[in-house]
Amino acid sequence: MTTALAARPAKTIEQRPGVLRRVGGLRHTSPGRLQLLIAVLVALGLLSGLLAGVAGSSARAGTDDLGDRAQPLLVEAEAIYSAIADADTTAAQAFLAGGLEPQQLTERYDEDLRTATTALTSAARRTQENGRAADAVRELSSGIATYNALVATARANNRQGKPVGSSYLSEASRLNREALQPQARALFDSAQTEVEDGYGKAGAAGWMSLLLLSLLALLIALILTQRYLSRRTQRTFNLPLLAATVVTLLFTVGGLALLISQQSRLDRAANQGSGPLTSIAESRILALTARGDEALTLAGRAGSGPYEVNFDQTVERLMLERGPLLNAYGSLDPALGRYMDSAATELQAYVTTHKEVRRLDDGGEYDDAVDLAIGPGTTEQFDGARKSLEQALDNRKAFFTDEIDAAGNGLGLLTVLGPLLALVICALGFAGLRARLEEYR
Amino acid sequence: MRIRSVVALVAVLSLAACSGDTGPLSTDVLPDQPAVTQTAPPAETAPAPNCNPRASLRPAGSLPAPGDMPAGSYMETIRKRGRLVLGTSQDTLLFSSRNPFTGKIEGFDVDMGRQIAEAIFGDADKIQIKVIAYDKRVSSAADGSVDIVADTMTANCDRWQDVNFSSIYYEAGQKVLVSSSSKAKRIEDLGGQKVCSAAGSTSYENIGKVKSSKPVIGVAKPAFGDCLVAFQRNEVQGISTDDTILAGMASQDPYAKVIGPRFTEEPYAMAMSQAHPEFARFVNAVLARNRADGTWKKTYDKWLGDFGAAPEPPKAQYQ
Repeated sequence: MTTALAARPAKTIEQRPGVLRRVGGLRHTSPGRLQLLIAVLVALGLLSGLLAGVAGSSARAGTDDLGDRAQPLLVEAEAIYSAIADADTTAAQAFLAGGLEPQQLTERYDEDLRTATTALTSAARRTQENGRAADAVRELSSGIATYNALVATARANNRQGKPVGSSYLSEASRLNREALQPQARALFDSAQTEVEDGYGKAGAAGWMSLLLLSLLALLIALILTQRYLSRRTQRTFNLPLLAATVVTLLFTVGGLALLISQQSRLDRAANQGSGPLTSIAESRILALTARGDEALTLAGRAGSGPYEVNFDQTVERLMLERGPLLNAYGSLDPALGRYMDSAATELQAYVTTHKEVRRLDDGGEYDDAVDLAIGPGTTEQFDGARKSLEQALDNRKAFFTDEIDAAGNGLGLLTVLGPLLALVICALGFAGLRARLEEYR
Repeated sequence: MRIRSVVALVAVLSLAACSGDTGPLSTDVLPDQPAVTQTAPPAETAPAPNCNPRASLRPAGSLPAPGDMPAGSYMETIRKRGRLVLGTSQDTLLFSSRNPFTGKIEGFDVDMGRQIAEAIFGDADKIQIKVIAYDKRVSSAADGSVDIVADTMTANCDRWQDVNFSSIYYEAGQKVLVSSSSKAKRIEDLGGQKVCSAAGSTSYENIGKVKSSKPVIGVAKPAFGDCLVAFQRNEVQGISTDDTILAGMASQDPYAKVIGPRFTEEPYAMAMSQAHPEFARFVNAVLARNRADGTWKKTYDKWLGDFGAAPEPPKAQYQ
């Protein structure tokens, strides 16, 4: 030890033991002890202030990211997926109608593409530059352009009565189902993961617990200081220190209350907002997939084939008890329950109609099967279900936004008021001990 | 001299088509993926015994009156069901394609099927059209999922092992379609380039057998319409299949032309399950009657009249 010290430059040898000795020596004298206590209280106060600022702004940033980025990204990913699936169905139905595509279907197709591209543009802003979501966005951007070009060529050929138009349409449909939809699914899945991760970031549990620990330490330090002073002096109470204790206590209780309220808001947003939202989105995607399978089975004219098998599997997943469609939505919100009930009723009616479509087609009544499948009755049934699901989605979107806004409310207060309170505590602590220190001069 | 060598070439190629064709139930041999690129034909499967693919079952006696089919015959089964199930495609213009204006599938092949329905029911509309993939034509007829396949299907010895063919109703031959700016004169000039055909068709097999400096790269698509799409999107430089199918494609694309001589013989016949030989005899009787009474010629004029006057219908040959 000594040889090691001797090896060091002379300056340090002189300084270090000097500082250490002086700080160490402080605890042997009363004024020295008071000086040490001031240092400890001020340090803990400043630390608490700093942690309050960091915890508040980090939770604020996490909550904002969840509400303004991750959640909208999830909604947009679902919009892209549904729009792409619906465009495929619409194109196939327009083909089934024969002749010039019905105006109503052309408009819906255009609307679908508009929805998909608009949502894609905002989704691109909300994804990081690298990663699965960004890849999906890139693939979708170029894929949708190619898809639209194929459909446009199919239309142009169809207008001139060239049968190759239908081949362009099946090429487009292949692209849609084999490339675009899987990418939209990847985007949806990664947005879902980001939302789940977002709750952790919004909670900022690490910073919050450090803040509470530091406040607790400050509280204990204050109480011990006062006990020491009341034993050493004639005064039982030191008013500034007492005030500092009260402020710290308020700060701790306030921080704890904020933490609890924010956590419960986040939990509600997760369990009653984005959770059900994802399930409803899943329902809509499944329903649209089934409708597309029906149209493609008929367009293929090959009888019940692989698309019909897919239809059955999709409907089975959709109609699962306690699945995406049939669940305790009513317990979250009676209005939501009504939307989902009516969606379920309409979809069940549609599945019954679909069975009739298959019976007709398998029985050789192809034209009747097409008429039934794309006729106004079936379209109304299906669109009714779509509308109900849309309303249910909006209902949960609003709930989520409300909860996230509320969760973010107290955080600004913590970021600004926390450091201020800490300064007040420091000042009070300093004032309280400074008065005692003066007595030794 | 030149004519003789061409004849010899055709003879060699058609013989090759007979022995080296897609094996029994061709679905197993060619992967039915959307697009398959391969430079060589699939490995030769056990060659079918030599046969005359044009020789079908002889009709038995005169045709029964429509609606009055012999008891126990397959025709009676069809009559009881109320419709004939015809397997065909929906994108082979002139033979069986979907009319974009009406949404109905129509063409020479469909009319062949309608004439059979007419003979069974007295009503040509009692027909259900089922679109089958090219590589499912043999299996669909063999397993009875359709009653009869009329889908530009070449009768050959390999397929005879799995299905019964009717007598020949059309004589086609393979050619190649290229861009109108192409300098190629025949398929041999397309060495190293991509040429599309339908998966499971004899045409696709034949592309791999073309002798040229560099092998022609065969690209298989599920249907011929997909080949035209690939051609128009510059994914392939040519399409090779029967001249009549190519003519239907060229009529949809003013920037395409059909070149070269027929380098194979593709006799078209309808395929049926081997479980009902009486049905094949019945179909042959209907074909024989239609050749004789001018129905065949009328059908030809209706769909293929743009390519010149109707030739003599192919002569029926029987085993």
